[in-house]
Amino acid sequence: MADKLSSKCEISRRLVIETMAKAAGVGALTSLPGVGAAPAQTGGPWSQAPKGKVDKVNFVVWTYGDIYTRISKQFEADWGTKVESTISSFNDHPTKLATMFAAGEKIDVSQSSPFSFPNFVDQGLAEPIDGLPGAADYIKDFTGFTKQVTQFGGKTMGLPYFSAIWVWNYYTELMEKAKIDKPFTTYDELIEHCVKAKKDGIARYPILWVAGVGLEQLPGTWYSITCNRGGTFFDKQGNHMLGPGSIAREVLKWWANTYEKGLDIADPESLKVQFTSSAKAFGAGKNLYRGPNHHYGLNIVNDPAQSPIAGKVKVHGWPGDGKTIGVTHVYFLSSANRDKEWAWKLLQYLGGRTKDGEYTQAVGLARDAMLGSGYQSVMQSDAIKKGWAPWGDVDAILGMWDKASYIGEICSSVYKPWHFPWSDQINIEVQKCLTGQITADACCDNLIKGIDEAKKKV
Amino acid sequence: MALDATAPRRAGKRRSPRREISAGAFAALMYLPTLVCLALVLAYPVLYAGYLSLHRVGLGQLRRGEFPFVGLENYARLIEDRLFWLALKNTFLFTGVTVGAEVVLGVAIALLINQTGIWTSRVTRLLILLPYAVPPIANGLIWSFIYSFQFGFLNRMLFSLGLIDAPINWSGNPHGALYAVTVPYIWRTLPFAILLVHAALQGIPRELHEAAAVDGATAWRRFWHITLPLLRPIIAIILILRTSFAFAVFEEILAITQGGPGDATWVAAWYSYKTAFAPPNNFGVGSASAYVLALLIGLLAIVYVRFVYRRVTL
Repeated sequence: MADKLSSKCEISRRLVIETMAKAAGVGALTSLPGVGAAPAQTGGPWSQAPKGKVDKVNFVVWTYGDIYTRISKQFEADWGTKVESTISSFNDHPTKLATMFAAGEKIDVSQSSPFSFPNFVDQGLAEPIDGLPGAADYIKDFTGFTKQVTQFGGKTMGLPYFSAIWVWNYYTELMEKAKIDKPFTTYDELIEHCVKAKKDGIARYPILWVAGVGLEQLPGTWYSITCNRGGTFFDKQGNHMLGPGSIAREVLKWWANTYEKGLDIADPESLKVQFTSSAKAFGAGKNLYRGPNHHYGLNIVNDPAQSPIAGKVKVHGWPGDGKTIGVTHVYFLSSANRDKEWAWKLLQYLGGRTKDGEYTQAVGLARDAMLGSGYQSVMQSDAIKKGWAPWGDVDAILGMWDKASYIGEICSSVYKPWHFPWSDQINIEVQKCLTGQITADACCDNLIKGIDEAKKKV
Repeated sequence: MALDATAPRRAGKRRSPRREISAGAFAALMYLPTLVCLALVLAYPVLYAGYLSLHRVGLGQLRRGEFPFVGLENYARLIEDRLFWLALKNTFLFTGVTVGAEVVLGVAIALLINQTGIWTSRVTRLLILLPYAVPPIANGLIWSFIYSFQFGFLNRMLFSLGLIDAPINWSGNPHGALYAVTVPYIWRTLPFAILLVHAALQGIPRELHEAAAVDGATAWRRFWHITLPLLRPIIAIILILRTSFAFAVFEEILAITQGGPGDATWVAAWYSYKTAFAPPNNFGVGSASAYVLALLIGLLAIVYVRFVYRRVTL
């Protein structure tokens, strides 16, 4: 009797929560323009409730606007289960997740950059999703980037969060002032433009590199230019490609020459800026070129609320054959989950389909934040074509996307657990090189030695 | 008679000093709650870190609670790691500069506000103490804006005053970045030294200075022969406390330089943090480095007590 009563009460609470959440605007979220542009599949496994019972589910992620508040509300409204979140900054996220995991806390779903992910998989933080209801459909829809990030030894370890490619930006007003009619088409031309702009007093530091300490910032700049010039960091057998005369080494020499000890055309602030802060710094209108970095920086630098030069910044592709790099970040099912079925359900809300069969989160991210998707169907949908339009030339970016290789093809150590400590050394040595403390040759030699040291740390 | 015979014996027993708790035992009893708290809050983590430093500890091991014993392997890895030695060197340099400056400036400012001839309002005193209330991480963020190369307040001010004609890369210059981080740190922690020295100055009898003045001693000689010797105990305390905190500096590094540019501002606590809390999360080596740091702080404290501290009797 008591059980029947409590069961009735529970259904009643669920209905109340559902009704309230819908009234609070969650219903509006699902009906926003763009949602549904990627084909929805109602009646699939995503619409079926898990068999077990949990009082709550939780996720541990890094911050991005209010996307997690919105998706949590939708989950609670759809399933009547409370969602708790632990949200930290991008750089603090691996530490937060690691300490929670080590402390024995329950974690249903979490998130990873592709650089930390091999470590998390190696240390047993993630569980495979193969065989879970609907997983095969997701895998079929994965883009090439997503497949490369999520597959480990034939197992699929996550769903995509977002994808991005490395592009350049230029500030049209300064280009006009410097009487440069079109952006560079070769690296020599890039240098010519910057030297001219500096000489003419148009910009003291014409180029703002994204070279702050990080996994994708400074290393990403080096990886992307090396990729565009036809180089890699490791060959297919895993041997380094940093020796004398290698493309990566020559790129570093060229890059270091743009700093103070060389041509002195690179903004010293470059060595500190991260993704967002570089876009905001570029928004001050003091540099001619910014990059190379994630394409979605445009949604900051061309946003009137965040940038005084909004609308005057254009996206620019790469010299030569236009090759660039791309990346996909992932959500994964934590091995410390409280209930696998419920954790899978929550994982789908973050990185897959919601109850209505929509890729709600991926579409929302494309529309609101200019992020690319790890699903082919979303990338081909209006969510991208219309969603990105306010900030940049969508066709141009998608054209660059077609020429992008996953970052792991250029630096295959990202698949290895030792990449993370080696990446720390890349940041140290390359910054020393860019600030003139050591030569590019010494830097590369140190990094070659550092590979073995990094392997020992794992 | 029987009563007469037993009564004095009982009374004597009650008065026997052996039955009363000794002063030492009583003191130990009174200290016991504090000792238990300190043991739980301080000693246990320190000993546990020591235990971890002798084992292989990653995320998986922590989760499972199984730590394979590796002996001194983690310490051997530290000794082999060039970055660890650099971090230690930077830590010594940072500590030397900050603690030295804190003691000198702390004494100087405390003497200044202790002068009866110089009026300092409560607001002034409050302002002097205010930085100590700023959380370290907030302090780091504030100074990262102040130091900003193109848009920072410091460069703007110097430029407006005509002292510079091009911005200075305060925290991005590999040769100056560590010194740049010392300034915010000193700014935040200096009030602590001022507070202690000022309190100690209040305890120095005025008659000593008056008598010396009558004998013709100059202000400098009075400071050197009277004030400074009487401040030695408090200076020793400041040295011990500030050294131990400066050795563990972390927040300002995190907010201003994150160890960069290159490895210019890698300090010992940053090294321990990166080793333990960034993938591949080697808590064993991280604990070993933290342990080495703790031992060094302990050694320095002994040196200070041995060479700086003097018991003062007036």
